[in-house]
Amino acid sequence: MPIDQRHLGRRYGPYQFTVGLEHLRDFAAAVGGGVPGRVFATAPGQAHPWTWDEAAAAASPYGSLIAPPGFAATFAIQPFSAACVDPELGINVLRLLHGGQDLELLSVIRPGDLLTTSGEITRLQERSGLEFLEVSTSTVNQRGETVVRATWTAIIRG
Amino acid sequence: MKKATDYAVGDTFTAVREVDPYRPIYYAAASGDFNPIHIDPSIGRLAGHQGVILQGMCTFAWLADACAAYLDDPGRVRRVAARFTKPVQVGDVLTFQGRCAGLDGGRLRLEVSATNQRGEEVLKGACAEALLPADDAAVEGRG
Repeated sequence: MPIDQRHLGRRYGPYQFTVGLEHLRDFAAAVGGGVPGRVFATAPGQAHPWTWDEAAAAASPYGSLIAPPGFAATFAIQPFSAACVDPELGINVLRLLHGGQDLELLSVIRPGDLLTTSGEITRLQERSGLEFLEVSTSTVNQRGETVVRATWTAIIRG
Repeated sequence: MKKATDYAVGDTFTAVREVDPYRPIYYAAASGDFNPIHIDPSIGRLAGHQGVILQGMCTFAWLADACAAYLDDPGRVRRVAARFTKPVQVGDVLTFQGRCAGLDGGRLRLEVSATNQRGEEVLKGACAEALLPADDAAVEGRG
């Protein structure tokens, strides 16, 4: 059954998230071909050193580790994932696919940053037997600067 | 470190990533995305796949990292976008082939294709934008 259009504009959040140094390094390991964690962990062979090697990052123009762009998935996804399991929307998650992603990064993210993400449903559309759910999110840091804007699109197969 | 003059329209770059059996689990641990479709092969099959599928945002992070590697600076990436067109499964080998498609002021536009080992596109419309450092942009402006 199609999602009721009355949910257009439905809001999720705010969600708070503190960026941890070990979390950044774990993310770099997981994405960069290494093993995250503190047990049997291995370094990422395919991540930029400024995202996991503290010595290299200290000598970089940033002076500390910075998050790679993909790290935004760890916090900015929350309004989208909340919408996907929202009982009011009634989506069967087994029919759900991540259809598309647009991520705008306005400033670098560092360990210790306190991020707050909110989002809302900006599109509900049915097309050729598929349903599209779009959630737009915005993330601000502890200084009130917008650091990430993102559009998350789910496709629900009929 | 690269300077603005080190980038040119037509530059190309390539990155290859392999989906080893633990990759969806490692990515789940690091990202917090423990959707069972990425963890439990029986749930993956229930959803119509051969087993677990990789988180789309892991493929997306690989796309972003391929661009960051070309830029030699993850902090310069200002936008990344793509549509996911085919599920990525364990055992897949993805090749990201990028091209510098535009250079306007201090802003670079990159276009990327992402294909699996069978040559099927797993992303469509993949692109990124990057901002060059202010000093470099100023130099370019004077030129």
